[in-house]
Amino acid sequence: MHRLIEFIKRIYVLVLFLILEVAALWSYATSSVYAEAKILSRTTEVGGAISGTITDIGHFFSLTYHNRELTSRVAELNEELERTQLLLEESGIDPESTTAIDEDLHFRYHPARVVSMTTNRNRNFVVLDKGTHDGIAKDMGVITPDNKLVGYVVSCSEHYAVVMPMLNTDFSTGGRLVGNDYVCVIRWSGVSKYKFEAVELSIYSNPSEGMEVEVRSERLPAGILIGTIVDYELNSSKSAYSATLSIAADMSSLDNLLIVENTHYGEIEGLMQQVGN
Amino acid sequence: MFKNLSYLWMAIVLILLQIFILDQLSIAMWLRPMLFPLIVILLPMEWRTIWVLLISLTVGVVMDMSLGGVGLYTATLLPLAIIRRTTMYLTTRRGLEPGDQTSLMSRLGLRQLMFYVAAMILLHHAMFFLLETLSLENVLHLVATILLSSLLSIIIALPIVHLFTLKIIDK
Repeated sequence: MHRLIEFIKRIYVLVLFLILEVAALWSYATSSVYAEAKILSRTTEVGGAISGTITDIGHFFSLTYHNRELTSRVAELNEELERTQLLLEESGIDPESTTAIDEDLHFRYHPARVVSMTTNRNRNFVVLDKGTHDGIAKDMGVITPDNKLVGYVVSCSEHYAVVMPMLNTDFSTGGRLVGNDYVCVIRWSGVSKYKFEAVELSIYSNPSEGMEVEVRSERLPAGILIGTIVDYELNSSKSAYSATLSIAADMSSLDNLLIVENTHYGEIEGLMQQVGN
Repeated sequence: MFKNLSYLWMAIVLILLQIFILDQLSIAMWLRPMLFPLIVILLPMEWRTIWVLLISLTVGVVMDMSLGGVGLYTATLLPLAIIRRTTMYLTTRRGLEPGDQTSLMSRLGLRQLMFYVAAMILLHHAMFFLLETLSLENVLHLVATILLSSLLSIIIALPIVHLFTLKIIDK
């Protein structure tokens, strides 16, 4: 007992220092999106290797499931390819004669795997195992293999990317009602990880339950699903609707994802900056 | 008691100097002198580390609240409290001895004291700018910021340390 007290006496200053230092760093790390994402990507360089190994073990045991999912996706894509070829033939175009090359592609897809992620905070982040070394850059979109929005890349290290998912109170993106093309802004209020809000839906948009909302952003192609309207109401001034959406992607079980690169994004950004200046 | 009050006055002056003058200077992005670490650096070596740690915490929180550091100032001041004695030994080859009658700092010449102060300022600035930038993408800019800001801080600190030895330590 005496020895224990002596030991505690010897180390209590160090323990207090560690507690205070961690608290200060935590406060700083969560003070801004930039700091949070940067610290997360730095710590990921070290921790990524460890959690990557753990994740790899998890992936090994879920291979059967993923193989089944990939097979069904391949089948889906084959059917789509066949339909496109039929359409081209019906239009009198020889599919073999298309001159499209890699550089002409408007969007490129980089497969990535989730290394770590959180879903229980107000500001959640997802870490992917691809970084600048693999051609990933800030602002690229991230989707599930079945075309559902996950979020946007906010920071990259050489081998890892940090994604701000929809489940982050700082996240916002443009949306489009499928069917009538009315646009809206989507934000997450942090209340439920399965639902979020579309704000400022036009009074003329005439929303209905079950209506799908797609992404409308220069960072992603058309047809990326955000969610489905489950509830909506007129605001107090009766000038706009506010709707609640159920999130399309299952954010609690993300694994294999696609990072989407818009090859024209730099050009668009440059133009926007010109207009801004 | 009077000596302790002198430390308090020095702390207040350095904090005000940092907030109202040094932080308002916009010489260049890579030239940002910081003198408030002197409050922790110049505390008597004989004081127990726990008190120095709590003083560092107080100064850090005051700086964070005044300059909007949200933990950055505190996180970079706290380690100074822990590494003071080691840095003093490494830079001056002097340490605390059980039978010492006079304070350790009063036995150092200005030159030796400045070696210790310079090393501590450099360490503080390195931690501060590294944590603030959180990026090694522009290493040259970061290193230049650390070195040049430290150099300017040390130059400004020289008369303060001189005054400190005359008015506080030698009293």
